[in-house]
Amino acid sequence: MSSDSAQQLAANRSRLIKDKLAKYGVTLGGTMVLVALLLIFFYLLYVVEPIFRSVELDPQQQFDLPGKGQTLVMGMEEQSEVGYRFTDSGEMIFFATQPKKAFDREPGDILLEEQVVGADEMVSFAKTLPVNHQYAVGTKDGKAWLFTPTFDVSFPGKAGGTEPKRLIEPKLTRLNDGKPLLIDQQHRALTKLAYETNDKAKLFVAQTADGKLISTFFETRSNFLTGVKTLVPHYNALTFEKPVDDLAIRPDLRQFMVLSGNQLQVFDVSISGQVTQGQRVDLKSKLLGKPERLQLLAGASSLLVAHKGGKVSQWFEVAGDQGREYQFIRSFKTAGEIKDIVVEYYRRTFYTVSDTGALDIFHTTSEADLYHDKPEGLSLSKVSVGPRANMLLTQSGDQLHLFRLHNEHPEVSWSGLWHKVWYEGYPEPTYTWQSTSGSDDFEPKFSLVPISFGTIKAAAYAMLFAVPIGLAAAVYTAYFMSPSIRKVVKPTVEIMEALPTVILGFLAGLWLAPLIEEYLPGIIAVLILLPAAIIGSAAIWSQFPERIRTKINDGRVSLLLIPVVVLVGWASFAMSPWLEHVLFDGNVRGYLTNELGINYDQRNSLVVGIAMGFAVIPTIFSIAEDAIFSVPKHLSNGSLALGATPWQTLMRVVLLTASPGIFSAVMMGLGRAVGETMIVLMATGNTPIMDWNIFEGMRTLSANIAVEMPESEVGSSHYRILFLAAFVLFIFTFIFNTVAEFVRQRLRDKYSSM
Amino acid sequence: MISVNPTNSSAEPLDLENLTQEQTTLEIKNLDLFYGEAQALHDISMKIPKNRVTAFIGPSGCGKSTLLRCINRMNDLVEICRIDGEILLHDKNIYERDVDVAALRRRIGMVFQRPNPFPKSIYENVVYGLRLQGVKDRRVLDEAVERSLKGAALWDEVKDRLNENAFSLSGGQQQRLVIARSIAIEPEVLLLDEPTSALDPISTLTIEELITELKEKYTVVIVTHNMQQAARVSDQTAFMYMGKLIEYADTNALFTTPAQKQTEDYITGRYG
Repeated sequence: MSSDSAQQLAANRSRLIKDKLAKYGVTLGGTMVLVALLLIFFYLLYVVEPIFRSVELDPQQQFDLPGKGQTLVMGMEEQSEVGYRFTDSGEMIFFATQPKKAFDREPGDILLEEQVVGADEMVSFAKTLPVNHQYAVGTKDGKAWLFTPTFDVSFPGKAGGTEPKRLIEPKLTRLNDGKPLLIDQQHRALTKLAYETNDKAKLFVAQTADGKLISTFFETRSNFLTGVKTLVPHYNALTFEKPVDDLAIRPDLRQFMVLSGNQLQVFDVSISGQVTQGQRVDLKSKLLGKPERLQLLAGASSLLVAHKGGKVSQWFEVAGDQGREYQFIRSFKTAGEIKDIVVEYYRRTFYTVSDTGALDIFHTTSEADLYHDKPEGLSLSKVSVGPRANMLLTQSGDQLHLFRLHNEHPEVSWSGLWHKVWYEGYPEPTYTWQSTSGSDDFEPKFSLVPISFGTIKAAAYAMLFAVPIGLAAAVYTAYFMSPSIRKVVKPTVEIMEALPTVILGFLAGLWLAPLIEEYLPGIIAVLILLPAAIIGSAAIWSQFPERIRTKINDGRVSLLLIPVVVLVGWASFAMSPWLEHVLFDGNVRGYLTNELGINYDQRNSLVVGIAMGFAVIPTIFSIAEDAIFSVPKHLSNGSLALGATPWQTLMRVVLLTASPGIFSAVMMGLGRAVGETMIVLMATGNTPIMDWNIFEGMRTLSANIAVEMPESEVGSSHYRILFLAAFVLFIFTFIFNTVAEFVRQRLRDKYSSM
Repeated sequence: MISVNPTNSSAEPLDLENLTQEQTTLEIKNLDLFYGEAQALHDISMKIPKNRVTAFIGPSGCGKSTLLRCINRMNDLVEICRIDGEILLHDKNIYERDVDVAALRRRIGMVFQRPNPFPKSIYENVVYGLRLQGVKDRRVLDEAVERSLKGAALWDEVKDRLNENAFSLSGGQQQRLVIARSIAIEPEVLLLDEPTSALDPISTLTIEELITELKEKYTVVIVTHNMQQAARVSDQTAFMYMGKLIEYADTNALFTTPAQKQTEDYITGRYG
């Protein structure tokens, strides 16, 4: 007896353990799902977060100014281990910026000191854009010396077999075989000089001591036998008598600008060096102040003008009535008068130093004021950015400071992602997504608006197609269809959901899109005639004699529609060429484009609407059907017992009671349409345009990620913005589902029945 | 207040076999009902008198609810159901082809076992049947609501909260609301299918009291599981067993002097 009860107890204990295990197992599973979701969420945030980080300057080194004289220009090589400064005494001084134990280098150690030109000879100085990193010195006898700092990198292994260390040896390279170029044939002093070069030519623009403006164009010709390159000069004396404040030359050498007072005079240069006077721009305005200095931005499409009062304005050429003309785009405000303005090598970031000693960092595309401060409390006078834009060399007094610059994603700002941005060369501010191009100095256009719009457009057209069909099918199946047929129909439609969307996308892109293009009138005819024919045949059926009607079971009447559907479909397609001939002059596409001004893409929203609608229908159908079918019978019976027809019962009681379920069916469908990738990828043409036109394509968030992620550089702004797009998509579906659930709960509370 | 006494003073015993035209609302003639192959009702014939309460009693599965549902053709909704025979509503066979089922159900209202108010306000529940008929005049609807709710003895309890959801009412109130909903469209016949089986005793008493009042205006047919209830509320009772009508008589007579052995066994609790 006692052993029996002990056994019972033991059995109970094992049951208890199982119970506990089940409980903890279920709790663990549920928690893991939540944790996984949160992990995805936070991982997305983690990848996205750096693009919104502010600029940081991290002090690295500090040392005395090497050499003497005033700094005209400073620079660094790629590794930012060696810096150089060119002084007003015509001296080029190379120095170490970082300690290098292996070669006994300390920051500030002078590595090389070379006189480029005698201090008494030098009257002007010019620099090219940072990518070309060449410098020119104008002399008092009308000549120009060209030089460039070069760096030899070697890896000398140390005796003793230690790891080879990188050694960077600076060198001053004089161009044109160390000889000066004659700029002014009359040998006047070049009081103002501008210089720019490319692999085909060099262009100098100078003001001579007597106030004349001259331009000298050197064409590079190579002897095709010896390969020796010679520079052939073309001298131009320009009729420009006003005093010159600043000069700038575009690196394509097709244009240069002269700043004189408040006016900017543009000169156009032909391929052979002929100069013609171009547009004249008034740079001054009440808001901007007197222009003082010119600087071209990386990519050289934009001109930066520093104004008195500390503003910097951006100008670029915009197509207008008289061709392309410079136009004011935007301005940036610094704290004091601008003393120095420096641009980056590739990006549209620029740095200004004002007379208050503060550093400002701006980005033009994102209109962002990235930094405004005195780093480490220093009062700066000169600044220089490393080629990789990761190091900043600053001068304050007779001290140099090296900072690590954290500014990986200046081109991205929240407003740039969601507002209209005026991109270089565009006639007006636009929403544009154009992430990559062949060129290094390309201005990336990251607007999430067109792709978010595309997502909504694709989903909207898909819902336009799917909601009526899905809901009508659900109502019919749940409420009117005989149970025996329902048993077959419901699983069949639900199996459609398992159809891989890549197949649907493939069919849509390669079969449906050309078909719709060819039979467009037929397709539109189907969309109109089919519902009409179905309603019409139902009306005719109701007029049939009772005797025939009762012979066919209510649930099977719908099968009679099959020949109707087939016939109407066939007839629509058959008369498509005829319709096209009669109504659209035999060419629908031509008619749409020429007569109505509607663009027609082969892969368009109609195709996507149908294909994605097809993918969404099973979702909507399945949930809505369940909702309608589970409306308690006693409710519909109650309505019928009050003398309602089945239709009245459906409209007034069944749909009302099922509304929470129907609503969530639609929202689930919408969520699916928003997240759908393969169909939109293959059938939309992926054109990131913003247009509700049903005959044009779109690019959706999901397709955009799928298309661009493989070609995106890990850690780049583009890469992070794609993650942001994923995050936006996540938020989209999150909002849809939350709203759906919220409304569903509200409706359920309202219409809940026992 | 409540007449527990089976002898209902207002109801004179009628000769159920030979009711006159005026006295009869419904006449069931040789009704057979099949669910597929299975026969659920066997050759039922009876006359249901006007402005009286007729109860169908019998053990579970005897076909009493099925018979009740035949009267307003709710069995039409069951696909495999087939009916032979006739049910005459004032000499018109309701199973004839030209009968509009919706119109028939307007004349023969029905209240189900479980209270089934619609997920709407109390007001909208009551006027549902009228709205179906296209009545839009607010005054007509207001009057109907007051009259019906008073008729269902619910007016005093809900008159201040007509726009509240019907689900805020208790079970018994809901059932009275359903009755109000049925009488709002002024049917001739009211079919009650075990109207109190899902209710507590207090609500049951209220409904029973209401049924006695309802017969002033309507012919009431009630299916009940509860013999005491049948005895309390009905004027005549039909006892059914295995799909057959065993005995149909004045309630007093049936409960006191049953003619059939099976009836006696049932009312004395031998089975069921």
